[in-house]
Amino acid sequence: MSIWNKMEKMDRRWIYLMVAISVVIPFLYPMSLPISITPEAQAVYDTIEALPDGSTVMLVFDYYPSTIAECEPMAIAALHQFFSKDIKVITLSNIPLGGPSMAETITRMMAKEYNKEYGIDFVNLGYKANYVAVMSGMGQSIEDIFPTDNSGTPLSELPLMTKTKNYADISFLFEIADNATADYWVSIVNAQFGLPMVCGTTAVSAPKYYAFVASGQFKGLLGGMKGAAEYEILVGHKASAVTGMSAQSLVHLLIIFLVILGNLSFFIGRRKSLETA
Amino acid sequence: MRTTLPVAVAFLSGVILVISFFFDDKNWLGLLGQELKIWLTIVGGFTLLLGVVSITRVNWAAVRRKKERWEYKVLTLIAIFAMAIPSVLSPDWSIRFGRNEGSVYDWLFQYLMSPMMATMFATLAFYIASAAYRAFRARSAEATLLLVTATLVMLWRVPMGEWFLNLFPWIDIPYLLNTYIMGGINMAVQRGIIIGAALGAASMSLRIILGIERTYMGKG
Repeated sequence: MSIWNKMEKMDRRWIYLMVAISVVIPFLYPMSLPISITPEAQAVYDTIEALPDGSTVMLVFDYYPSTIAECEPMAIAALHQFFSKDIKVITLSNIPLGGPSMAETITRMMAKEYNKEYGIDFVNLGYKANYVAVMSGMGQSIEDIFPTDNSGTPLSELPLMTKTKNYADISFLFEIADNATADYWVSIVNAQFGLPMVCGTTAVSAPKYYAFVASGQFKGLLGGMKGAAEYEILVGHKASAVTGMSAQSLVHLLIIFLVILGNLSFFIGRRKSLETA
Repeated sequence: MRTTLPVAVAFLSGVILVISFFFDDKNWLGLLGQELKIWLTIVGGFTLLLGVVSITRVNWAAVRRKKERWEYKVLTLIAIFAMAIPSVLSPDWSIRFGRNEGSVYDWLFQYLMSPMMATMFATLAFYIASAAYRAFRARSAEATLLLVTATLVMLWRVPMGEWFLNLFPWIDIPYLLNTYIMGGINMAVQRGIIIGAALGAASMSLRIILGIERTYMGKG
């Protein structure tokens, strides 16, 4: 058996070890790598910058805890930009599995940093089942769909919600999703109610949404951890996404190396086997 | 009756929602449509409850009969009720109830569920690396095209790879990838898929409204 045949049958645990090392090393020895800004991420930042101070926006936490590494940095960076411009934020989630909790924890953490008050500067509506009805119904009345916020406080007792009746009172929508809910926000809320929106999504979902960027329905797009890192740089708060780019760089390069090695061992190994046969 | 009533409900709900789309809240049809959407969120809540009842019945039956690996099913049941019960109780009774910061639900979510889900998802990186090594072969022209494109996009999406692509100053590879691969070929294909899926969903909805499609009632 030639070395190439042996390579082809390499124990997968060696691959796992290489991946583990590629992930861990950049966290122990951080590398400062230049991160370029794509036009789609720049558009997200510019769209929010163009909003008048004091306007009201909707920030939607439509992601599961499994994709926190990619999506949470986007939410944190968005809140940095919103709160620094004194923009009022309404959060909600169409994901029962933790969406409202993540919205609550992250928004309160950021609000503390910017001295923002619950009910006046931000509100968490929480979760309601059946997202198509939720998105569509809020076009007529948010209070019809969410009579109370995530903690059970009636919306009529929250100053921000007394002046925000429906989408007509909201200037902008920032959807952070790791699933198909973004499709419905664009087809129901953007298309029918004309609410301008951007989307932050996982790297695996991002290719799909280029169609909405090109049509102008998404003003901008953040794709995966790279998109989050670009946005963190633009907002001026480099955090976990920028740090994570080093690990992602090494793992991407490792996978490319493995693909090349796998192909070499396959083709050379096959040729050697044919020659000896 | 068992077939007629659901078909009639589906027909009326569908028709009212379609018609109400063209009216605002100043018209009774618009208000009726809004009322139906509120009902939908309530029905959605009951479907979640149905899920809890169903998973409890299935797992409890397995535990009672001591089926293979019944211990895991006990854990499933404990996990469901440990998260669900404190979250639906009123926070007025105790700060540990409800879903706010400091509640049992929040603690279980932040320190158990969230890390476990993130860990499960992160292990994919190991499997993807192993699968890429074993299965991603340039066996045909199409596979080679996919392999080359995927490699270039993977390089472009990370700083080290982008640095490498920028070593060729006479050609702006990152710009070409973003414009022609992601914003060109990829976008065209995605549009086709999105439009196709939307047409499929529209025709399926129409079949349900008109009572032609009855599989949701367990009938062919």
